[in-house]
Amino acid sequence: MAISVKVMRRPEAGRTSYMRATLKGMSLTFRHMVRPTKVTLEYPEEQPELSPRWRGTHRMEVHADGRPKCVACGLCPTVCPANCIRLVGGEDDQGNRYPIVYEIDEFRCIFCGMCQEVCPVEAIHVGQHFENAEYGRDRFVYDLDRLMEQDHPTTLLWDPSDPRSE
Amino acid sequence: MANNGRKAETVTLTIDGQEVTVPRGTSLLHAAESIGTEVPHYCYHPGLSAPAQCRICLVEVEGAPKLQPSCVTMAADGQVVHTDSPAAKRMRQGVLEFYLVNHPLDCPICDMSGECKLQDYVFDEGREQGRGREPKRVFGRDDFGGDVLYYGDRCVMCTRCVRFMDEVARDSRLTVVERGSRAVIDTFFDRGLDGAAFAGNVVDICPVGALVSKDFLHKARAWDLDHTPSICPNCSHGCNIELHTRDNLVQRLKPRENQEVNGHWMCDYGRANYEWLNRPGRLEAPAVGRGSDRRAADWREALELLFARLQAAEGDVALVGSATCSNEALAGLAALGEEVPGGAAGRVFRSPRAPDEVPLPGFPLLVRRRDLVPNSDGAGLLGFERAGNDDGQGGLEDVAEHGGVVIVLGDELADQGEDFGANASLFVYLGTFDSAAARNADFVLPITTFAEEEGTFVNAQGRVQRFQQGLRPPESARPAWLVLGALVAAFRGEKTPDSAPEAFARLAAAHPAFEGLTWEAVGDGGAALVAEAAHG
Repeated sequence: MAISVKVMRRPEAGRTSYMRATLKGMSLTFRHMVRPTKVTLEYPEEQPELSPRWRGTHRMEVHADGRPKCVACGLCPTVCPANCIRLVGGEDDQGNRYPIVYEIDEFRCIFCGMCQEVCPVEAIHVGQHFENAEYGRDRFVYDLDRLMEQDHPTTLLWDPSDPRSE
Repeated sequence: MANNGRKAETVTLTIDGQEVTVPRGTSLLHAAESIGTEVPHYCYHPGLSAPAQCRICLVEVEGAPKLQPSCVTMAADGQVVHTDSPAAKRMRQGVLEFYLVNHPLDCPICDMSGECKLQDYVFDEGREQGRGREPKRVFGRDDFGGDVLYYGDRCVMCTRCVRFMDEVARDSRLTVVERGSRAVIDTFFDRGLDGAAFAGNVVDICPVGALVSKDFLHKARAWDLDHTPSICPNCSHGCNIELHTRDNLVQRLKPRENQEVNGHWMCDYGRANYEWLNRPGRLEAPAVGRGSDRRAADWREALELLFARLQAAEGDVALVGSATCSNEALAGLAALGEEVPGGAAGRVFRSPRAPDEVPLPGFPLLVRRRDLVPNSDGAGLLGFERAGNDDGQGGLEDVAEHGGVVIVLGDELADQGEDFGANASLFVYLGTFDSAAARNADFVLPITTFAEEEGTFVNAQGRVQRFQQGLRPPESARPAWLVLGALVAAFRGEKTPDSAPEAFARLAAAHPAFEGLTWEAVGDGGAALVAEAAHG
């Protein structure tokens, strides 16, 4: 199929008036002055409402006694497409398997949420959170303590009322 | 199986609509395997007897009143077998459901996860949802001694471990106690697996995560490990093994089947001794100069300097080899000794030696040998003489004070003093680690360990066996066959061998004991040397 070219004919300068377009634009401006539609937020005093499926930085769930829920099964580093999770498993003094090292490089993370989806014990979650600023790049590798300290709400990977997004 | 001469040697049967001819006496399970159909099985293991008790290998044989256990049913002429018929499938689903009645389904924390047969079969054919409502019985875990932990809840009661200890190790230390759903594997009173020389194999043959290795516990997931065919470096029997590596570290050693050498097994001594391959602090860059004059150099400069020094060297050459080095490296060292103008004064190697051999009674070919190094026989064939005591020490008094050229390959010289080689006109040290005794060396050249290169060993049976590269070597370390091969090639004015097969070809051409062997012929399974040359 040949490429069809449409030639736009512009009115020549001096042969057309821009008054109508100017008035149209000004009328919109005046309408907003009388009946404003507000889209900006007075952040940080006002906080935005995040979608329940918002996927932000991670958080590790903990047991009542403060131990991480993670059992170091190794599924999240396996499934992670960005290869940003480092995990070294071990055994604690009660004979439970637990993560000796659990680190997530939030810079490498693509926030796909597959770690949360694959976790058999619902330990690692992506969170509804976006305020991640730090003073140094090295602070973006979150270790286990940091992940356990995070207390923002976790993400619902799907809407419970509409699990198949229908 | 007996063949009385009247019957044909082979039988022809039909499995899943495919005609297959197998030798008489082949089980249906093996016959199916020969056409690429895996019949699930737990209790059957090719190295053990077949009690047909796990009931998962049942297949439909037309004309038989019931499903037949394929591990003990022999193939017969005209049989029509269905491994995947609705009846066989329904039965397998039922058996798997029974196995899961008390199984804790703790795959996330189970070390076997990823290589577990129960996981595989249930994933393939099991029910999507369990129907059990009763609580599962709980045993917890039991320390069997040695390197073995037992998780009773995960056990499928195949009794492979019990039969291994009875039939192969011939040291009955495990048994089934109780019956029915209360049945567990246990040791006899407080006599566990401690001190049993081959008990680690029960971990390998356990089809589920019931028997796990303490050493490997929680260390790595099965799917993260890279498997490299190799040769066990811990005795001169040279069991065929796989290096299981992750993050450039050896995580565990597993036996690799070779019926000529080790069957399906390996000893616990060999299995446990791999940490030395992960030892940090390696020599990383070539260095030239004695004592305080030592400076780093790149390979080209170091080899050019060394070649010039060797050409002008005074006195004869004392060579110290190492029985942990490959044949290619040792042959390169021997050839270099001949090329240096002064000629060779002597070739020695040292090796630790155990007080006795440890045989595996049920598989007589496999013996933990006295020489606790992989290539003492290869070193012997290549003209090196064993020196020193049974701890692998001493025996280098002459070399230490040798006035000519001293070339040390691989040996760490840990027992030697700082004045080692002080009188030498030229002292070259090719090693993996620095050592106090290398202080007087004019050249310190970093080489790779056997896990970081390709090559061959000769085992105590006179068998040449190949190992492959499983680890990435440190920065500038090079295989010893390459370093020595480059020097020899410089003397002879030929091309440097560019690969281990090339180095092996030159070795085979130079040494009559290796005559006729090629890299391809050695293959993954190894090849025997000409007998009289090997043991002459």
